[in-house]
Amino acid sequence: MLSKSQARTFFLGGTGVFAAIFLALTVDSMKRIPALTHADQLTESVVRGKRLWEANNCMGCHTLFGEGAYYAPELTQVVERRGKPWIRLFLKDPEKMFPGERRMVNYRFTDAQTEDVIAFLDWCGHVNLQGFPPKPPLRDLLRPAAVTASGTAASQPELFRTICIACHSVGGVGGVVGPALDEVYRRKTRDEMLVWIADPQKLKPGTPMPVIEMTDAQRAEIVDYLLDLAGRTPPPANGRPTPKTPAEVYE
Amino acid sequence: MKYKTQKIAYWFFAAAMGLLALQIVYGFIMGFARIGMDGLHPWIPFNTARAVHTNLLVVWLLCGFMGSAYFIIPEESGRDLEWPVLAWIQLISLLVVGVIAVGCYHFNIWEGRKFLEIPRPLDYLVVVNVLMFLANIGVTLWKGTHPTTTALVLYMGLLFAALLYLPGMIQEDNQTVDSFYRWWVVHLWVEGVWELIMGGILCFLLIKLTGVDREVIEKWLYIIVGLTFLSGILGTGHHYYFIGTPRYWLVVGGIFSALEPLAFLGMAVFAIAMSRKGGRRHPNRIALTWSLGCAVMSFVGAGFLGMAHTLPSINRFTHGTLITAMHGHMAFWGAYAMIVLAMIAYALPLLTGRRLWDTPAANWAFWTSNIGMTAMTGALAVAGITQVNLERRIGLDFMAVQHEIEMHFVGFLLAAALFTIGIGLFLYTFWRHGLPSQEAMAPESAPDTLAADLAPEAR
Ligand code: HEC
Ligand code: HEC
Ligand code: HEM
Ligand code: HEM
Ligand SMILES: [Fe+2]
Repeated sequence: MLSKSQARTFFLGGTGVFAAIFLALTVDSMKRIPALTHADQLTESVVRGKRLWEANNCMGCHTLFGEGAYYAPELTQVVERRGKPWIRLFLKDPEKMFPGERRMVNYRFTDAQTEDVIAFLDWCGHVNLQGFPPKPPLRDLLRPAAVTASGTAASQPELFRTICIACHSVGGVGGVVGPALDEVYRRKTRDEMLVWIADPQKLKPGTPMPVIEMTDAQRAEIVDYLLDLAGRTPPPANGRPTPKTPAEVYE
Repeated sequence: MKYKTQKIAYWFFAAAMGLLALQIVYGFIMGFARIGMDGLHPWIPFNTARAVHTNLLVVWLLCGFMGSAYFIIPEESGRDLEWPVLAWIQLISLLVVGVIAVGCYHFNIWEGRKFLEIPRPLDYLVVVNVLMFLANIGVTLWKGTHPTTTALVLYMGLLFAALLYLPGMIQEDNQTVDSFYRWWVVHLWVEGVWELIMGGILCFLLIKLTGVDREVIEKWLYIIVGLTFLSGILGTGHHYYFIGTPRYWLVVGGIFSALEPLAFLGMAVFAIAMSRKGGRRHPNRIALTWSLGCAVMSFVGAGFLGMAHTLPSINRFTHGTLITAMHGHMAFWGAYAMIVLAMIAYALPLLTGRRLWDTPAANWAFWTSNIGMTAMTGALAVAGITQVNLERRIGLDFMAVQHEIEMHFVGFLLAAALFTIGIGLFLYTFWRHGLPSQEAMAPESAPDTLAADLAPEAR
């Protein structure tokens, strides 16, 4: 059996050897990280965004690179997932986007600060994370109807796909804050929709639906798309009934 | 208590108890927010509660380690503490810094990096504080009789913990590099040097409580801490899988972190073997119960539950989910909270001269808190597994999944209530011991010297 001094040698020797290897790997990592993280794109705006990220401890609710807290969504690819226009709108008043949901702090960022935060998150989204977050391996297995769903998504106007879908669903895909829009053509005429989308507050003061800035052409495109859903509403995804609209629930 | 200056340990322990109670309060604030009861949000948003919860945890554990060192080092070096007044100054300044930091978090002032939230100027004060502490026990050790292995390992652990705090203060523009060095503090503390501290305290307790020969125990100490560093240093790689670092960390981190449980397994087997081997019954049974409990629960929380998500192919899915929170709770509890509570259970009767070991309250405290923590871990495990499957494997929206697992947090809160009852009983026992007294210096109230007589130590 080992003697005490042999045990001590094992401890000191092992520690020395592995600490040396660790330091060598650290030096090597520092050489490679700039390429893996696109360090050349670390603009001043990104750095300012990082300072805002730290000064407000966003990591105390969110994870970034999977590090942080587990109370709020992982933000590594949020720019890809939600798009910049949506994030701008969201950060202006987070509670308004998801009323009655888990709450975020409203930081009252200036427009410039918002751009910095988004630049930082965008930069993070392009770091090579060796495959994190993973592509959900079971998604395709469970959703044979995904073809229709994604087919729908492809035909959606850009603005609709990035902003409206956060609150509304089409074909069972999307948010649940507002009613599903599959059959909105039954409830609203073209003109009503145009007015509603331009300024929901005017038609219904206090409604949670926000004003979303867009051109008339964009608005018309979205309304065309919504009207176009008539007659080709895709079958409900994976057998789930299309989410009920509030109106239906009350009837 | 052999030396008058060991008395300061009592006050460090008392401070630790107060901070533990406060930590739990903030834990409940978060727990309730998770089931939708977030009425405190405008004043104490989740990130504030979280920073307070985890920082108080670290500070009370450090208070416990420092108190343990102030108790153990004089005893092991056979002399009084060099500068007792400095120890007082150190305790008070540590608490002041802690209170200021916690206050800052309520006003959105922080550094915003997980576990290292304290504002930069306070970092420097912490460094000064820790230097005072290290100087005090260092000089005591130096001037004492030939330093024992136990004391040396404990001192090395504390010294390296202080050194490793420094990389955490590196300012970086690149988020990846920033995280890289943050882990030098967080990981190399809990899976490196803190294990030295834990090993040192555990050895001290086993030597005192089982009466097994010091040479035998200390040889095992070397082997265990050897295993710790052998696996734990390169094991840091398990935090470098997915943060923008080179791919080889998946291999290096995977292999070496998978070896880390060995050190904890060694600790558990060794503690149980020593307590069997030592034929003598020290009257303070509850201190031995806590010591063995610590060795076993640290293996379960750190070794077993750490292993459960440390392989890259698993961690890809569990990274940054409630699985991590599950592991974090039981690992911190088993390894570090329990070693501090074991030390307190051992030292209090000696400091105050009141033999309150083996009271029903003390026993209930052990069992209730441990059953409570096990149930909390179970609730987080179920919530975490569900989250991983729904969010990471099926790809549902984060918040939709959070609603699905809300019920598990009701269970979590019930378990936390049980745990809190256990801690309440521990605090009650602490309070019943009263203050440190002069009588405690009398030999007849020091069962420890009695133990030493029975089992001659190889000094
Ligand atoms: C008190 C906790 C908290 C803090 C602090 C916090 N957030 Fe959030 N955040 C949330 C919650 C909760 C949500 C999800 C809201 C929902 O979906 O109902 C969210 C959502 C988001 C989203 C949208 C994510 C998505 O995929 O829908 C972004 C972007 C975001 N937060 C950015 C930030 C930034 C930037 C900061 C720091 C300046 C920050 N958050 C601080 C709680 C927080
Ligand atoms: C923050 C969430 C949110 C966003 C983003 C949002 N909406 Fe809405 N929307 C709602 C809510 C909530 C209602 C229901 C309003 C009410 O009844 O008060 C609604 C109602 C509607 C209606 C009427 C539905 C009906 O059944 O009568 C239409 C049409 C609509 N939204 C279109 C859009 C379009 C187009 C966009 C994107 C440009 C959009 N919404 C973005 C929340 C949102
Ligand atoms: C007493 C010892 C330990 C303590 C106190 C501890 C505590 C923690 C904590 C608090 C975290 C979360 C860190 C963060 O995200 O900021 C964590 C993460 C982790 N721990 Fe431990 N741990 C210990 C030992 C171990 C061991 C021995 C292993 C492996 C066998 C391990 C594996 C992991 C892994 C893989 C993660 C990353 C989780 C993720 O990807 O989100 N831990 N640990
Ligand atoms: C008894 C009441 C307790 C409650 C209700 C509680 C609750 C919580 C909650 C809700 C979180 C946040 C998880 C998230 O990000 O969503 C958390 C984090 C944490 N708690 Fe507790 N906790 C309690 C006690 C403890 C104890 C006794 C310890 C240590 C011994 C502890 C250690 C931790 C750690 C290390 C983290 C960070 C985990 C990580 O980042 O992975 N908690 N706690
Ligand atoms: Fe680790």
